[in-house]
Amino acid sequence: MKKISISFILSLLLFTVGFAQVDRSQFPKSGPAPEIKIGEAETFTLENGLKVFVVKNTKLPRVSFTLVLERDPILEGEKAGMTGFVGEMMTAGTTNRTKDQLDEEIDFIGASLSASATSMYASSLKKHQEKVLELMADVLYNPVFPQGELDKLKKQSLTGLAQSKDNPDAISGRLTSALVYGKNHPYGEVATEATINNVTVEDVKSYYQTYFKPNIAYLAIVGDMDKAEAEVVVKKYFASWKSGKVPTFTYPVPQRQAKNTVALVDRSSSVQTVIDIAQPLEMKIGDADYISSRVLNQILGGGSSSRLFMNLREDKGYTYGAYSSIGADKLIAQFSANASVRTEVTDSAVYEFMNEIVTLVDKGVTEEELVKAKSNLAGSFGRSLESPATIANFALNTVRYNLPKDYYATYLQKMNALTVADINATAKRLIDPTKMYVTVVGNGAEIKEKMAQFGEVVEYDNMGFPAKEIEMADASITADKVIENYISAIGGSEKASAIKAAKVTMSANVMGTALGLSFVYDDANMRFSQKTSIAGNVMQSSVLKDGKGTVSAQGQTIEMTADQIEAGRLSSFFLPELYFGSMSYTLALDGIKDVEGTQAYKVIITSPSGASTINYYAVESGLKIKNENAQAGDTFYSDYQERNGVLIPMAYTIKSPMIPVPLEAKVESLELNPTLTDADFN
Amino acid sequence: MRKFTALGLLVGMLSIPALAQNKIEFKEFTLDNGLHVILHKDNTTPIVVTSVLYHVGSKNENPERTGFAHFFEHLMFEGSENIERGQYMNIIQARGGTLNAYTSNDITYYYELLPSNELELALYMESERMLHSKVDQIGVDTQREVVKEERRQRYENQPYGTILPETLKRAYVAHPYQWAPIGSMDHLNAATIDEFQQFYKDFYVPNNATLSIAGDLDYDQTEKWVRSYFSEIPKGQKEVYRPNIIEPKKTAETRDIIYDNIQIPAVIQAYNLPKRNHPDSYALSMLSTYLTGGNSSLMTKELVDKQQKALVVAAIPLELEDGGVFIMYGITNMGVEAKDLETEIDKLIKQVQDTGISDEDFAKLQNIMENNIVSGNSTVAGIAENLAEAHVVYGNTNYINQVMDSYSKVTKADIQRVAKEYLDLTGRVVLYYLPKSAQPTE
Repeated sequence: MKKISISFILSLLLFTVGFAQVDRSQFPKSGPAPEIKIGEAETFTLENGLKVFVVKNTKLPRVSFTLVLERDPILEGEKAGMTGFVGEMMTAGTTNRTKDQLDEEIDFIGASLSASATSMYASSLKKHQEKVLELMADVLYNPVFPQGELDKLKKQSLTGLAQSKDNPDAISGRLTSALVYGKNHPYGEVATEATINNVTVEDVKSYYQTYFKPNIAYLAIVGDMDKAEAEVVVKKYFASWKSGKVPTFTYPVPQRQAKNTVALVDRSSSVQTVIDIAQPLEMKIGDADYISSRVLNQILGGGSSSRLFMNLREDKGYTYGAYSSIGADKLIAQFSANASVRTEVTDSAVYEFMNEIVTLVDKGVTEEELVKAKSNLAGSFGRSLESPATIANFALNTVRYNLPKDYYATYLQKMNALTVADINATAKRLIDPTKMYVTVVGNGAEIKEKMAQFGEVVEYDNMGFPAKEIEMADASITADKVIENYISAIGGSEKASAIKAAKVTMSANVMGTALGLSFVYDDANMRFSQKTSIAGNVMQSSVLKDGKGTVSAQGQTIEMTADQIEAGRLSSFFLPELYFGSMSYTLALDGIKDVEGTQAYKVIITSPSGASTINYYAVESGLKIKNENAQAGDTFYSDYQERNGVLIPMAYTIKSPMIPVPLEAKVESLELNPTLTDADFN
Repeated sequence: MRKFTALGLLVGMLSIPALAQNKIEFKEFTLDNGLHVILHKDNTTPIVVTSVLYHVGSKNENPERTGFAHFFEHLMFEGSENIERGQYMNIIQARGGTLNAYTSNDITYYYELLPSNELELALYMESERMLHSKVDQIGVDTQREVVKEERRQRYENQPYGTILPETLKRAYVAHPYQWAPIGSMDHLNAATIDEFQQFYKDFYVPNNATLSIAGDLDYDQTEKWVRSYFSEIPKGQKEVYRPNIIEPKKTAETRDIIYDNIQIPAVIQAYNLPKRNHPDSYALSMLSTYLTGGNSSLMTKELVDKQQKALVVAAIPLELEDGGVFIMYGITNMGVEAKDLETEIDKLIKQVQDTGISDEDFAKLQNIMENNIVSGNSTVAGIAENLAEAHVVYGNTNYINQVMDSYSKVTKADIQRVAKEYLDLTGRVVLYYLPKSAQPTE
């Protein structure tokens, strides 16, 4: 009995414990949205006009100084690209320190220091603040702008520009900006080789002397420093900074066009199309629609659970990712929806994009989407606040955009108060699906016609300028005639046909590394081999013979598929034009195009199974000047020299997505009709 | 020359470092079931990180079942009795959070970073994981495929990806550190569902876990939630297995060649280290920074910039509870033989052993270490992790506030001494990674 009662009591106890247990069948509910306690920014202004804010945060013994120049955007015109050099030129040495000394002194205290055309940033541990301020002030007051540094930066910039001309994303970005803002707007103008070469040290110096003025500057101090101390150090380092008159600029507001149009850049070697659907948008931080526009974008295309991603990737599988953005800027912003899609589905993808945009504007969002988007945005907003850079940014924005003092402190509450009706109204106000630029960068021959359903199609070049449409003077010209002309230009059919095989070695330089290329052509027997080597070591090789193909790289050898062999075959002849007929290739003439300033016939060569390559033959000389190939990229031919009575190019420029910079290859040796053995094709 | 002297003087003046580390306040308690809880309140940002450190890593594994600890890191996202399969990540993301986990030779660490009004959710999720995670055949089968892909991507398909497993295999002959956390696919394939369930019962118990929460929290409310979600989780029924194996000191160099899918040869050297909480760890960490930390470090300056024999050199002390390894690797420049690079690396090691380091370099090292330590505590996620490690590895949560003191005890002479003592050529492991094409045919 006693025993029983104990167990009874025990079970009672257990029961009570059971009662105290939480309900595990439900996820705990969210607590009330937290208020963000951003340290109140304290401000003061120096006599020279420098506005300072101090966001004290003693969590860590560190302090950062962010200097921002608030000037109107500048139209650089003939010097486009100049402002991109200012920051690195400033940190390239002062009257007191060489660049090396500056770097060493920064590293020694574990600090960082950087500059741009409109800002400077320095940070260090609290105890090194005097040193880092001394270095910052030295850079601010005494930069020497060495010519050598500008030469280096210009060279880097030109290399970058060359790369960007073949980069579909860069082409798309340049085109979209040029259309949305206009080329005579600071946000739409384009830096070219010419404008970069126009930049001089004097330009950089004059920019610095004009715009680095305290009366247009904000200094945000974030970290272990209070206002009293900030006043002392700011006075010490920045009070002697002389104010000056800074020019102001206004620009016409970019307008939306009357109806949707399609802008196309033909990049024949593309296997994907970069789509960007865009229009200008007036929106700045603090506008009535600003926060709701964040939510709206989150629902449309802000992330991996947004409508565009779910439709174009998860449902249709057109792309790796589809997104949208709604910008915010004092001058003018942009709405954009974008993705890179397979060439074949370009029109379907644009259709889905337009459909999603129209549906969003017409039918609005759901309550469920709203709740998800809010919590997603609130989460990333909250996490971003941990970085002092974000807090500095908020303090600056509050003044720059004249926001209420508690704008960011109550940001989440304001966002959480938004209703479905608010978001829907914002969508209607901001987005006009009937006035879009639909920009596409891809294989024009494949996509141009299909794009006509979305608006008038206008072609542009890779710098965002309208493509030169060249009239064909000789209307009777055909693809076959172009090839005939080419063969007679190189020396005639008889001499050309006498070349049945060739061995070619070439050398090239990729960013300091010597690259060797060797090719063996046995046109008569349809054998081909190619090797790429670095410092004598073969890095990659491919062989086509006996109807088979292999590719070897990194110690692995892979058999080519039938399709790959077909595609490879197109570029496996030394003089391919002699074999177009016997290979039953079909030829199509696609007009006259501008190839780096030379007018050339574009001929599309297609194998019976559908593999294709594109050659360009100069209208004037008849010579082949360019080949486009989906696998190998673009090859430009030049320096034609006579060998065995036949003109053969001795210089190749190869541009491929696989290599970071255009490859300049020179022919080192050329043997015509050599004796070939099986060893040449191993 | 004059400049040099002036700098020397300046360094002399700085030689009593004013330590910059701010104290990190925390509160800690242990539940009856053995779960150790650490709370750090920081209301600056309305976010909170909730983490659980399970004191189980690959060293706790059965030598016939390697890879279990890492496999569990995957399995533990499969859900629980109350969380449907695949919902663990979705619910965290839908509430505005992010999450992740990792496994080392010593520990397994999980964390969720959420808005602070979702702390209760995070505690619920982690308590579900500890109380009754789903360890079933479907989950095992799914995650086995994922781990296979991870293995391919990170080790097999990655040039030099096998450096760690190949090095560990040779650096340890007795201790279970001889296998890497990724373990053996054969072992995972051979394991039965009972074995997985047993591993969960053995190691995923409150008395083997540390719950570390940092951020915008209220101490009382948090403790209340912790008690209500975690108290009911039963204590493990047996003592947690921890290997008590002393790795014998090696008396001869181990030298091998690995033929890999690479183009450029690499040299790897590994030296056995003392236990992680040994006082010499600090000097060794400074030594590695001196050798390869940053562009002005000894080996980077000499071998990459000046001699251009290496594309990159790195010294990484892999600090482990029972004594890790100091791994040094160099990837050769075009046309340089592995042997040639190794000779130069050895020369520089000998230089440090024979002549030590300069006053200026020592001062710079102190500055860099100080900066690193301060920056290591710049996020609540970092603080939660450092607090948990301080408790588990150093047996003292307040160690987080003493790291800087430990570094400041290191002298210039210590750096030379540890270089001599631990970078001992006779017991080291040397591996050459060479292209498969260089493999002699047998």
